[in-house]
Amino acid sequence: MAIEQIDFELCNGCRICVKICPMDVFRMDEKNKKAIIKYPEDCMLCMWCALDCPTKAITVSIRIKSSPLMVSWG
Amino acid sequence: MEHVVETDVLVIGGGMAGCFAAIKAKGSGVEVILVDKGYVSNSGSTPFASSYAVFNPEWGHKLDDWINQHTIGGEYLNNREWNEIVFKNSYAIYQDLVSWGMRFHRNEDGEIFRGRSIVAEWLRLEQRKISQVLRKQTIARGVKIMDRIMITDLLTQNGRVVGAIGIPRESYDLYIFKAKATVISTGCAGFKPVGWPITELTGDGQAMAYRAGAELLGNEFVDVHSTWINPPGSIYPIQCRIKEREKLRGWGWGTQGIINAEGNKIPTRYRHINLEFEVHAGRAPLISEMNPTAAEHYGVDHRIGIVGCATLGMANHTTEGISPINTKCATSLPGLYAAGDSLGTMLVGAVYSGRGFATACASVTGTLAGLNAAEYTLQVKKIIMDEEKLAKLKKNVSAPLERKGGFSPRWVTQVLQNLLMPYFILYIKHGKRLSATLTLVEFLRDHLVPKLTANDPHELRLAHETKNMVLNAEIKLRSSLFRTESRGCHYREDYPRRDDPTWLAWVKLKEEKGKMKLWKEPIPEKWWPDLSKSYEERYLNRFSRV
Repeated sequence: MAIEQIDFELCNGCRICVKICPMDVFRMDEKNKKAIIKYPEDCMLCMWCALDCPTKAITVSIRIKSSPLMVSWG
Repeated sequence: MEHVVETDVLVIGGGMAGCFAAIKAKGSGVEVILVDKGYVSNSGSTPFASSYAVFNPEWGHKLDDWINQHTIGGEYLNNREWNEIVFKNSYAIYQDLVSWGMRFHRNEDGEIFRGRSIVAEWLRLEQRKISQVLRKQTIARGVKIMDRIMITDLLTQNGRVVGAIGIPRESYDLYIFKAKATVISTGCAGFKPVGWPITELTGDGQAMAYRAGAELLGNEFVDVHSTWINPPGSIYPIQCRIKEREKLRGWGWGTQGIINAEGNKIPTRYRHINLEFEVHAGRAPLISEMNPTAAEHYGVDHRIGIVGCATLGMANHTTEGISPINTKCATSLPGLYAAGDSLGTMLVGAVYSGRGFATACASVTGTLAGLNAAEYTLQVKKIIMDEEKLAKLKKNVSAPLERKGGFSPRWVTQVLQNLLMPYFILYIKHGKRLSATLTLVEFLRDHLVPKLTANDPHELRLAHETKNMVLNAEIKLRSSLFRTESRGCHYREDYPRRDDPTWLAWVKLKEEKGKMKLWKEPIPEKWWPDLSKSYEERYLNRFSRV
């Protein structure tokens, strides 16, 4: 929903994002030793990955949505 | 593969309540396992907590004042016994936290910053740090933390809770926990709104306790928080950039009020449903006005459109939850304890009026649940499990993986959100709309949930979350229908006034012969308002002057 990308060059394969994501969005690409966004549709914008990534490789956009969001009134 | 793990105390959910329960149980000399479906220190809503209510007579606090704040604000449904327990113990917990290295915000003169909410006071926590400190302490005490395992169901034997069954994130394994006592501290029951950081809190604890036969209460009170319309859910990510917040010290968030389409300011002192009334009356869109300097700093327009239901489904902390049967955090099922937002202490009553009480309640009830669960283990000799029952449960847990076709949990979740999100279902309520929605939720329960599919372990977790959310939706709708009056943040268009003394009562429920049975539990008469006073005097906040 909101996570955009992991910079392949910057990712150092530390696995922190895989470990901490409350929504289980990431997996490891074991061949390249890089994190990948496996389940982007489950991202709920908590931002932990972007805040905790030691190399700042992760971009979470709070403005990009892949689908219209249900809101309470409009 | 199947893993069987034995322990004395099993704690489910590693936020503030769970960590305190684990730390204190371990301190009693028993073996403790803390299991979390996320990663302890990054899961739940604890990392986002920013305030902690500390009651300290030396700071001039008066117990009666603090309790009365909840009685008047919470419209007489607060449990005064729990108020007293939580407040009186909050200072000792604060000292625990300080001794563990937790810093509290200080004024420029070096004095502890004390914020005020009506009469009660709160201290400012360093967001994020709190959950890191708790993880470190939990590990240092010798508690075994098992991250990334979702508990799906409790195991019972002759009406007694003897453990739980869970699924890990990345493998097809199953975990069977055999425990002499179990503590549920899984937080609130939300429906995955992105407007508030309650991300994975899908009320798993309440749902599994209900399925095991426990009593729940307080589910008609659904919290009201608003969020920005574009981008929704962005308040917290910005707020939790702590260093930036420090720079903005003294400005706070910079909100200067909310104005309706006619340009009038809307009162928002308590978390009543004032915004929803404006919308209902046709005075949307609503705009939040910020301090222009703060807005510039955050890089946002100082006039931002807002929408409600940001916390979709969440109660106002401490209300919805598993009913405590005593002040030891024990529940109606022997061997099962609960703490924090999963425990229905009714600390704040019908609406949350103040600040920092959720964290105080979580830490105090966590402490009590941990100590009492540890004590309970001494009377349990051996855990015996009915193998046949367990085999059936195991089959149920992994069933979505076996189905060839059916419904994806993501789609069912979306359908559920679309049913519950509009403001006129769980916020401005009406018996007819609640019944209509309940009919559809029952269809989800009977037709879609039994056919949920999962392609991998990640989706198996989603399937269980969806199942729990559908159950919690039914619980909230039925509780809302049952309370035929308005009170706090529960507003019924068809019953727009408080009804004293008929509804000076809590709504409890449990499963009985496959049906959800609801009943009223009167609050003690000594806690009633003075009925000789006029309605206007008893209820300072009135729904659109009703």
